[in-house]
Amino acid sequence: MFGFKRCDGISRRDFLRVGGLTALGLGLGDFFHLQRTFAGNKTITAKAKSCILIWLDGGPSHLETFDPKPDAPQEVRGPLKTIPTNVTGIRISECLERIAGIMDKCAIIRSMTSPLGEHNLGTQYLMTGYKPTPALEYPTFGSTVAYIRSQNSQKSKGDALSALPPNIAVPNFTGELSGNGYLPTATRQFSVGGNSKDSDFKVRDLDFYEGIDLTRLTRRKQFVNALNEFSNAKDAGTTTTDPELERAYNLITSPKAKAAFSLAEEPHEVRQRYGQGGVNGIGQACLLARRLVERGVPFVTVNHAGWDTHQDIFTLKERYPTDRNAHLPSLDRALSALIQDLSERRKLDETLVVVMGEFGRTPKINPQGGRDHWPNVFSVMLAGGGVQGGQIIGSSDALGEFPRERPVTPSDLAATIYTLLGIDPSFELHTSDGRPVRVAPDGAKVVSELFA
Amino acid sequence: MKVIQIILISLVLYLFGYFAQNLSFADANLTSNPASNTSDLVDFENDLIPIFTKFGCNAGACHGSAAGRGEFKLSLFGGNPKADYKAIVRQLAGRRINLIHPEQSLVILKPTAQTSHGGGQVLSEDGEAIQLLRNWIKQGALYQTLRKLERIEISPQKQIITNLEQPIQLYATAVYSDNTSKDVTRWTVFTPEDTSAIEIDASSATAKLSRPGRHIILARYLTEVVPIELIAPLNDVNIHNLQKTIDKQPTSSTDTFVDKEIHKLLTILRLPISGTIDDVTFLRRVSLDLTGRLPTVATVKAFIADSNAKKREILVDKLLESDEFNEYWTLQFAKLLRIGAKERNTQGAYVYHQWLSNQIRDGVGYDKIARSVILATGDTHEIGPANFYRTVDGSREQAEFMSELFMGVRLRCANCHNHPLDKWTQDDYHGLTAIFAKIEDDQVVRLKPSAEVIHPATRESAIPRIPGEMYLPTNVPDFRVDLVEWLTNTDNPYFAKAIVNRLWKAMMGRGLVEPVDDFRSTNPATHPELLTALADDFVAHDYNMRRTLRQIALSDAYARSSHALPQNKSDDRFYSHSVKKTLSPEVLADAISDVLGVPDSYGDEPLGTRAVSLFNPNTESDALDVLGRCSRETSCEQSEEAIDGLQRKLHLFNGELLNARIGVQDSRLNILISQGTSPKEIVTEFYISALNRYPTDSDIAFWQQHIDFNESANSQSTILEDMVWSLLTCNEFVINH
Repeated sequence: MFGFKRCDGISRRDFLRVGGLTALGLGLGDFFHLQRTFAGNKTITAKAKSCILIWLDGGPSHLETFDPKPDAPQEVRGPLKTIPTNVTGIRISECLERIAGIMDKCAIIRSMTSPLGEHNLGTQYLMTGYKPTPALEYPTFGSTVAYIRSQNSQKSKGDALSALPPNIAVPNFTGELSGNGYLPTATRQFSVGGNSKDSDFKVRDLDFYEGIDLTRLTRRKQFVNALNEFSNAKDAGTTTTDPELERAYNLITSPKAKAAFSLAEEPHEVRQRYGQGGVNGIGQACLLARRLVERGVPFVTVNHAGWDTHQDIFTLKERYPTDRNAHLPSLDRALSALIQDLSERRKLDETLVVVMGEFGRTPKINPQGGRDHWPNVFSVMLAGGGVQGGQIIGSSDALGEFPRERPVTPSDLAATIYTLLGIDPSFELHTSDGRPVRVAPDGAKVVSELFA
Repeated sequence: MKVIQIILISLVLYLFGYFAQNLSFADANLTSNPASNTSDLVDFENDLIPIFTKFGCNAGACHGSAAGRGEFKLSLFGGNPKADYKAIVRQLAGRRINLIHPEQSLVILKPTAQTSHGGGQVLSEDGEAIQLLRNWIKQGALYQTLRKLERIEISPQKQIITNLEQPIQLYATAVYSDNTSKDVTRWTVFTPEDTSAIEIDASSATAKLSRPGRHIILARYLTEVVPIELIAPLNDVNIHNLQKTIDKQPTSSTDTFVDKEIHKLLTILRLPISGTIDDVTFLRRVSLDLTGRLPTVATVKAFIADSNAKKREILVDKLLESDEFNEYWTLQFAKLLRIGAKERNTQGAYVYHQWLSNQIRDGVGYDKIARSVILATGDTHEIGPANFYRTVDGSREQAEFMSELFMGVRLRCANCHNHPLDKWTQDDYHGLTAIFAKIEDDQVVRLKPSAEVIHPATRESAIPRIPGEMYLPTNVPDFRVDLVEWLTNTDNPYFAKAIVNRLWKAMMGRGLVEPVDDFRSTNPATHPELLTALADDFVAHDYNMRRTLRQIALSDAYARSSHALPQNKSDDRFYSHSVKKTLSPEVLADAISDVLGVPDSYGDEPLGTRAVSLFNPNTESDALDVLGRCSRETSCEQSEEAIDGLQRKLHLFNGELLNARIGVQDSRLNILISQGTSPKEIVTEFYISALNRYPTDSDIAFWQQHIDFNESANSQSTILEDMVWSLLTCNEFVINH
């Protein structure tokens, strides 16, 4: 996948317009046999085919999750205790006891650092690897991965993957991002919507409306395509098929693809294991994510809201004693079940799991008993997909204020995630006016210690 | 005990540092060259602060961050030189400065990386910056400021570039209060807005464009930030057509100032102009823009038949006076005012919406509307405009909301530090907050004269202040009066521009300034003179919104085709072709109902209520859930269209929005069929009602392949339903083109 060039004699603009989704001639095989040598002569083979991003929306406290400071003063330490993990020397929050039991499969970066402490800006930086600028909206990981994968996959007809959207958000996407940035809207995340903790959870509008059948559905699509072709609103020389209409049609007409969304197919014990309560149904959302990546969906975002804890940090543990549905216990249950389930199904190696939010929280507890925004240092957890578990990368200082060693920027993290997924961080995409943009910013350094 | 020890030690160190300093002041004075004159004295504010900015020391990512870096905090971009002086000279017991051995000062050792520095080496040991620092310390590290910076002058301010290869030399001159000036090019930071379009060589202060278009470079020196505009033509094509349009004599009776600057810029950029739209396209476009409705079948037919040369002008005037205009523009302004932002306050939203609707209907000037809401008091369940104070929570939020709404500026940054890209200071922010702090925003809005807010920098109560202008005398009962007088004064530089820019966007698809609530010198308008002319005209005519809308609607630019030519299709802001606008969710929902001939239901509202007339943005509606809605909790101006396309298309295929109504009794289709209308006439009727034009020959030819025009419509009802479905789903319908 490295060093291929566009054909000579075609301008970038032509290239983009004519090229559509197939111009970059690159075989799928290249992705999975990609070998790179990094400084330090560490050779890595990208193993991850898919990525599940568990997005803790609002900015989770690093001190209450993966970077506790048991020796700090009370106002920094906070109300929660720490526990040992199954890896000697690594301690995490007392609320993550199941994750502590599988720490050997997880890696934590404790030295993430960013200057952006506002939700929207932080979200953009963390989800795209680029600092937001007014000049260009960058695509999120999900859209970039969807775009590159769709250019490279040889879809066979009737294959579930060909109809499933390549970038899915469960249940919804976050913030005020379009997601696809400068990439085509077809790469934008599909939000399944609904509430995945309901027992009869169903994605809306997948089944035929009363009185409509395949013939009529096909005819309607054909009519719209024709109208767009004759359209008065059409620019000369542009193509007119409505890609979203095509995708909707393909999804509705593929029983196999639709079945991917059917949580009812899972045994009761499995559904229990992921947790059926929980805020925003993170348990069932993780289970749905597993079903989707299993069927070849390259990118799934599980959006778990409510981490913007300006008040009462303690409620992360429990809203009332023994409440399993509070944020930390439900995350613990869902995330540990996901990693173990993937591992038991021998899918963990090819599925990268990333857990993060847009920033950390202020080390000092505020007068409301909460923590405010703190981007200067925070933690990200990764597992599977070729990540070497059981390790801590970098560290924050004694009070959890700044990185003490090995600072990692969101750009570095982006380069790392792309590399794990077999995508060269320097690979160039093109904006609608033909301008080349790297998938991860120039200067972003891959965190190569992460690789197994 | 330990704490006391530490305090004692630091006190001793501090005193030692203090004396050492004073000692060496004397020392420095004794040894200084008697020949030295004031011009050799290093001026802390004017000579040193720019160094910290130039080399990024006081940037947000380094010592300029709110918490500083490595225990050393500088004000962001040198916004507070006195605090910076204190941080350098006094903090750390004065160890940052060594007056006896200037070379050993931390402020020299750190940036040159002679001792470990988190930011690595930023300055070279023999560079001019270090020289200045060293001299300053030698001279006694005084807070010396000889003159005050008035402004910087940049050259070029605006330049048209014909040769992309040619580097452009940039210059910056500081002009001081004592009328002296100095070349400060090398201490000025030049930052391109778009790093992929402009490359800056910092050492030579030159810029190079990598692609054509209009590009902005920000020049920053001390507190001043100034934009440089570089324009490179997009085409080398023959501009015969363009020239013809420019030379054309004005044909309409209205002023053509709207078109003048647009043409001027298009000429400079050598962008050819797309043609003018035909009558039916104009009818559809202007009806949607002014009334949020599609023209009816009868209107379309009559407009085509009308032979009056001034029929477009007559149409615009008729639309501006219609009830539909009032209804639609009440919605537009309700979104702007964010009526109904508080879900629980439906009674308030209702009276507020009613009040607004009356203002729009009566053509009340925009200045009077602003005056009414800002000065409102009373029971919000009865007094509509008082709900202005129940839109957001807290006086800071109220200050931000007011400034974004009526001034089109974002003050938010100035909460914690002076605005890095604009002139707003913390005094402005907290001064404006202090005005709103004196309003009690409960159900009954009333004055609360004793209330104060604390200025975070001074830790004292903030003094009420009109941002960027003046402090207010403190013995006034209601500061809002001064605020509103200033705001609606004919000379106010923000108020009129902020609203005409929004009106322009509503009509033209893009603001002259984008985002519309982010006016600042560093975000210049695409067409500054046009914006000024529109605003001046608006003010001169009693802030009459209809007049401005009329001027835009009758301009050549408004009537331009949306069909892009190969040579102008990359243009998204110069109006060489018109910008296609996606119908807003409410307008689209109503349009669908109108074409189907079946109303939709909205919450408990009576059947037949239109989506554009809803006062409550949270009214229950499946249609709006699918098509998108803005809850108005935050500004509705940016992200309304961020809806998942796939989800929407799934719903169009399988959901109720269209399927539940297409062929039901009393629907347009059903009535036409039962009247025995021929299939061809039915197709034509739906083309006119949905696309507002007659089907073309190729349209008819297409439908003839699927629908038997000789058979009865009754026997082909499902295929006719599919025809209607496709008309309501195609691009031409959902776009105002």
